[in-house]
Amino acid sequence: MTAPKNDSLPPERELKVGIGALVETRTFDVPDGDAPPWDATTKFAVVGADVDRQDGIAKASGRAKYAYDITFPGLLQAVILRSKIARGKVATIDLEPARGMPGVAAVIGLKDAGKKVRFVGDEIAAVCAPTIDQCRDALERIVVTYEQEPHTVDFLQSSDAPVVDDSGELVDPWSEDGDLDKALAAATVAHTGTYRTEVQTHGSMETHGAVAKWSGDDLDLWMSTQATFGVRGEIAQAMRAADVKCTGVTIHAEFVGGGFGSKFTAGAEGRAVALLARAANAPVKLMLDRYEDHTCAGNRPAALMQFRAGLDQDGVITAWDQRTFGGCGHNGQGGGVAIPDHFLRKAARRKDRMHKDLATDADPGRPMRAPGHPQGFFGAELFLDELAAAAGLDPLVLRQKNDPQAIRQQQYTLGAERFGYAKARADAAANNAQKGVRILRGVGVASARWGNLGNDGRGRDGSGGHSALCRIHQDGSVEARSGAQDIGTGLKTVLAILTAEELGIRAEQVRATAGHTSDPSGPAAGGSTTTPSLAPAIRHAAFLCRQQLASKVADHLGVAATEVVFADGKIGTAAKSLTFADACKLIGPNPLEARGERFPNYKGDPFERGVCGLQFAEVEVDSWTGLVRVVRMLAIQDCGIVLAKKPAESQVLGAMIQGIGFALHEQRIMDRQSGRMLNGDFLRYKVPGAVDIPPMDVIMQSVANGHTNCSAAGLGEAPSCAAAASIANAVFHAASVPLRHLPITPDKVLKALSQRKAK
Amino acid sequence: MKEFTYVLPRSLPEAEAAAKKPGATLKAAGIDLVDRMKERQFQPTEVVNLLLLQPDLGGITADADGSMRIGALATLAQIAASKDFAAEGYAALREAAGEAATPQVRNRATAAGNVLQQARCWYLRSSELHCLHGKDGPSCLAQVGDNRYHSVLGYHDCVRVHPSNLAPALLALDCEYTTQLAGKQQRRRVADLFPLEPKAQLEEHTLLPGEIVIAFHVKAQPKSARSAYRESREKLSFDWATTAAAARVVMDGGVIQEASLVLAAVAPVPLPRPDAAKLLIGQKPSDELFHRVALRAFADARPLSHNAYKVQVGQAIVREVLHATTR
Ligand SMILES: Cc1cc2nc3c(=O)[nH]c(=O)nc-3n(C[C@H](O)[C@H](O)[C@H](O)COP(=O)(O)OP(=O)(O)OC[C@H]3O[C@@H](n4cnc5c(N)ncnc54)[C@H](O)[C@@H]3O)c2cc1C
Repeated sequence: MTAPKNDSLPPERELKVGIGALVETRTFDVPDGDAPPWDATTKFAVVGADVDRQDGIAKASGRAKYAYDITFPGLLQAVILRSKIARGKVATIDLEPARGMPGVAAVIGLKDAGKKVRFVGDEIAAVCAPTIDQCRDALERIVVTYEQEPHTVDFLQSSDAPVVDDSGELVDPWSEDGDLDKALAAATVAHTGTYRTEVQTHGSMETHGAVAKWSGDDLDLWMSTQATFGVRGEIAQAMRAADVKCTGVTIHAEFVGGGFGSKFTAGAEGRAVALLARAANAPVKLMLDRYEDHTCAGNRPAALMQFRAGLDQDGVITAWDQRTFGGCGHNGQGGGVAIPDHFLRKAARRKDRMHKDLATDADPGRPMRAPGHPQGFFGAELFLDELAAAAGLDPLVLRQKNDPQAIRQQQYTLGAERFGYAKARADAAANNAQKGVRILRGVGVASARWGNLGNDGRGRDGSGGHSALCRIHQDGSVEARSGAQDIGTGLKTVLAILTAEELGIRAEQVRATAGHTSDPSGPAAGGSTTTPSLAPAIRHAAFLCRQQLASKVADHLGVAATEVVFADGKIGTAAKSLTFADACKLIGPNPLEARGERFPNYKGDPFERGVCGLQFAEVEVDSWTGLVRVVRMLAIQDCGIVLAKKPAESQVLGAMIQGIGFALHEQRIMDRQSGRMLNGDFLRYKVPGAVDIPPMDVIMQSVANGHTNCSAAGLGEAPSCAAAASIANAVFHAASVPLRHLPITPDKVLKALSQRKAK
Repeated sequence: MKEFTYVLPRSLPEAEAAAKKPGATLKAAGIDLVDRMKERQFQPTEVVNLLLLQPDLGGITADADGSMRIGALATLAQIAASKDFAAEGYAALREAAGEAATPQVRNRATAAGNVLQQARCWYLRSSELHCLHGKDGPSCLAQVGDNRYHSVLGYHDCVRVHPSNLAPALLALDCEYTTQLAGKQQRRRVADLFPLEPKAQLEEHTLLPGEIVIAFHVKAQPKSARSAYRESREKLSFDWATTAAAARVVMDGGVIQEASLVLAAVAPVPLPRPDAAKLLIGQKPSDELFHRVALRAFADARPLSHNAYKVQVGQAIVREVLHATTR
């Protein structure tokens, strides 16, 4: 990257935005003082290159210390006592017997007599002692009696559940809607279907929890969280509410073993560990076990969706209607369903939204990777394939006809070619037409979309704002720091790459640190906001440090600061330069330091307000055993300018793997009678293992969107939209009957195949 | 887990003495046992670790009569890789051991521990739920609850399934086992290790308290014998079978002379199906024949509310295992 000739740039700037043949010039309002924005013409040295994950070796070798690994001399363990009933009230509770048990240092109540119990696992009390077994022994002594009430853990059994027939179809008549009804009646091809998904739990590698340690009235928490600054406020508030004097809370989350949306809150476990540590006057660790994590720390709610739609003779979707239900926890919230409505630009649609969240006596849902999308995209994309089949159209062609998105249009062409789509479809069809064939084959495709270009983090009054820190030391070492968390998505690698690019050095020369709230603030890791929100500030911090270093080098070499270029580990002009290390010797004992600013998103029309993607899947269906195997997958995905290629690809791969789980295996299985989850482990709650994961290919597309100084867009969510949908479509192609209820387990496949035979 | 006394015997008599005590339990690799203890589902007061008894209980060796002896402590990985079992007649053992669990588990899990591990029923294995099986509950919770992975055959009131991969293979090869109790060794057919209904309702095996399995014995297999083990499961690794079958066939001149067929993961105990196997005798192998055998093997199936699919899948696995033994 070459240095700008001029630091004070005019606010109006022309940038080349887009990708490949789609690149065009647009004008943006660039704030004063920002680093000169990159665009589609920028040549990079580090950005977009195959840079290894910053903390990869630390993680693979076990040197990375997660909250789970933090320990101190005298550390106590803690365990929460949880409700055994699904609904009712605590009638009486006696904590006293626990206090006298061996080792017990503190006991706290989390639910008093008279308080409601809302699900199996609802927290009642907590204890701490030197070992987990001592905690358990103590919990067994706590006497709780309940006033039990009838419960239901199946959302289709809840009092306001819709009527579903034996085949799984919603049967209530649709309410009238003039224009829509007319469009449906006029359609050349019309179709309807009901789709369903089950509750998926987040299943992060690291369970929820924290280690708490007080120093006087100051509290340090090593927490497995995806919102360091959010939980800091939450804990401070909880201490006030509990009348515990607390002069400051610092959160540490340098390594987090995943969150997927379940770790925005400190939860009862976070509050309890802080209170226990205070009461016991000792450091305390409280990490949930796997069963608790499955049953008390959130999930992706179930969904029930019905669609009806019509096509005209050209294959254009002219009418679309939907009604959806969320299968939620006791709060009856969070079950919203999102569909790929980019295909519906020409469709008549109902004015009002027909969605209802249904409550059950179970753990409430929490956001999970693209909330509402994997459910809705599965239902709607499979419905589209059925619609295409009814019209005698190839499903890819139906999408091409109805998708106004320029980026995705080129993805259809590129993807079909890379995947060998047409040939694979034809080969599968020929295979399936053989008489008595045991292994059926199928190929499917589905789209992805997410809209997030990040935010500046300022409050309404303009206060606050995300930031990042860059420091260059005399010894040549460079630090890039953010107080936001890296939940495994790659923030640290983004910190290193952007800093290295700006300073003309290698990413390995930058020490990136994330997750301590003593560093500049950033957003919660949710909704694909972290990178687009922080990357511009990270780059800006490095840019400011570079300017400081440039002026020192300019003085030393006797050249103009504006002529100084940072590239290939050298600083200076073509004629005279210093190595980066020698230049740093000019710094003196106090490091150069700058806090980058996250300017607001540029005024102007970004090339694309979100990101687009497409995924292909090929499957084999064993018609004897009903087993579905994914044979290969391909994803094409953009995410603005691809900053950190390897972590970006691994985000997409992870979404595809999670999609295999959602499509074929994962479901929370509840016992109706007791209200307990039956498969709250990783033996019966099945996530794909190494052998279940087929060869997977990812094509990352870099799109300059002209939105910030580095054109970053978020990536966490988008690829999760398409994965399960593409697999379900491939299964439909193989089985020639749609499997409309995820996960597609052998029992459902065999039933569907026998119905096909019967037809 | 709760506090317990840990005993590390150096000899079989020492182990026997320790195992006799009330509340004592035997531990091999502990993969199953320690899990149950950690979950407080099982709380022995004394754990007798057999792992130091390798000289008496370990290894795979040949006996004078040509039969093979699988020590109780031989690991699944050793069985899967054993050169002694390279011949087709032993393939069921290799395949059953080699397909179980994951490489890490197979490197530790022992033959006896695998056969004697507790059923995986999610009601039975919950420390919070009280069912008929062993935990003073009045009834089987799976019968009225979610039974998608439970029995379709041969059950009385408890509908758990037998989880061991190795057991059906040992039965298909009509193996024997030796135990030691009160200083006495006894050798019996593996079929005797599993109780019949209705006893099986409460007991998973017929060992007496303190009785130690020493070894399994595999008869020398003629050159013309072939055996196989096949299973269905939802994932390709780290998953238990939803149905499984082991078979052994001896052919002469393209005609089946001897046959045995054992189902697993579909009933509370591994289930030999002699009537179905008999249909094979004197016949030439064909898919049509195997289909009939499969139907016969499940003829008396009584699927529960959530597991009718297991009948069809189990039939497919029978067809597959028979193809594998006659290919
Ligand atoms: C992820 C995972 C997947 C798995 N998948 C499968 C699978 O697909 N198929 C399969 O078959 N298994 C599977 N297993 C189970 C595993 O194979 C068993 O847990 C293991 O074989 C038990 O052996 P062990 O030596 O650890 O027995 P232990 O846990 O030590 O003992 C098990 C039982 O046997 C008794 N016992 C052990 N040795 C003797 C002896 N010599 N005499 C008398 N009693 C004895 C013990 O008292 C105890 O009751 C899986 C396990 C895991 C963790």
